[in-house]
Amino acid sequence: MKMPDEKPPLGPIEPGQLPLVKAPDTIWRSIEAALDKKPEPRRTSLFAAWQWAAASVLVIGAVGAWYATRPELPSWQVSRLEGSAAVDKIKVGEWLQTDGNSRARITVGDIGVVDVEPNTRIRLVAASPSEHRLTLARGEISATVSAPPRLFLVDTPASTAVDLGCAYKIKTDQSGDGILRVTSGWVSLEWKGRESLVPAGANCRTRPGTGPGTPYFDDAPEALQQALSAFDFGKGGEESLGTVLAQARVRDTLSLWHVLSRVEPRDRVRVVDRMVDLVPLPAGVARDKALQLDPATLKSWREELAWKW
Amino acid sequence: MEMVKITLFALALAAVSAYGKDFSLTIGNPVALALPDGVKKKDAGMAVRVENCADVAKAQVTATAEGIVNGARRSVPVRLFAATTPGAFAVSRDWPWEGAWVVYLTGHCGASTASAVVPFGPNGFLRESSKFFPRAATAAEVEAVLKTLSGGAQ
Repeated sequence: MKMPDEKPPLGPIEPGQLPLVKAPDTIWRSIEAALDKKPEPRRTSLFAAWQWAAASVLVIGAVGAWYATRPELPSWQVSRLEGSAAVDKIKVGEWLQTDGNSRARITVGDIGVVDVEPNTRIRLVAASPSEHRLTLARGEISATVSAPPRLFLVDTPASTAVDLGCAYKIKTDQSGDGILRVTSGWVSLEWKGRESLVPAGANCRTRPGTGPGTPYFDDAPEALQQALSAFDFGKGGEESLGTVLAQARVRDTLSLWHVLSRVEPRDRVRVVDRMVDLVPLPAGVARDKALQLDPATLKSWREELAWKW
Repeated sequence: MEMVKITLFALALAAVSAYGKDFSLTIGNPVALALPDGVKKKDAGMAVRVENCADVAKAQVTATAEGIVNGARRSVPVRLFAATTPGAFAVSRDWPWEGAWVVYLTGHCGASTASAVVPFGPNGFLRESSKFFPRAATAAEVEAVLKTLSGGAQ
């Protein structure tokens, strides 16, 4: 038997071992008061909700204002020439594609027009005051541009046509092979530092991986045109060069002027000799400097030769 | 003294040789021209320059386009724009695209006159069919080139 003041032994407490003690009345009053009290407004959480709502309104408003006032991407007007062109403008980054029965006209800002022939795929790349640029993936376009040189450019898989104040047609097929024909002014056809200057009445072929070939006039002898093709793209070598030199007329000094800087150094003398046979070397153009491909000399020579083109 | 005389004689001979050739006109592709700002090669049908003119800065060239459109004879004044090189000009393509047209160019250098009649095809001027004269061409000569061109076009 245990005594009342005896301390319970240490260890687990069995039910009934602890004595029941009545709680003080003050505790019950405080509990009842707490239960009767109305819940206070949750100021903190409501304030947070208001903040979120305000922030959302601000964000939505800002996005809406940006969207409404954002600078619109430059675009060019498109009009239908034939068939069913479904668009009325083309924006930077967009493609325009014609089917086999459609032709369209793109108004290039205020500097000219581009007529898009059937089965052509073209993209507007840039339309800024300093650059108007299209990409011709395949098909044919005719461009008529009245602008400062080098403002209007057309990229093709094989080269870039750089407007020097001109009207021209450029065509490229599925394989990327292309041909440029200039009808007014002149065009520079460029690819990785290789450049062909093509004046009105002349054509220039271009191939992926090689770039622009040698320009030639429409009325150049067929044998000359074929030899130039072999020289430019077919590894025609000595034989094709011989044909080019033999077939060239006075006007074909356009082609010879380009060939001069594309032959092996040992062949330059043959080209210069043939050019001088056709058109005497003008005053101010030194033969030795021409053989060295001095840029200023070649430019002066070209400007003088152009009077015969 | 003798050497001076010989040198002066040689110089005089060279000068006579240089300008003793007949005054003439040369035509060419507009790409041959260096044009001042505001003048576009694209708008030029061809280029023309005077040759063998002692005072090239005072040389003058005028042009008219003579054509036949739907059987009717027409004449159109043509503008010339001076290039940056004295004596060279861009010939503006001011005549209609339809019909057959030749451009009649007349040049003056002092008392000398030369002319050229240049036919145009759909792809530009026809050098091989052009006629050059060491004087002003007669109306009959202009008509002859135009008739050949329009006959060929029909």
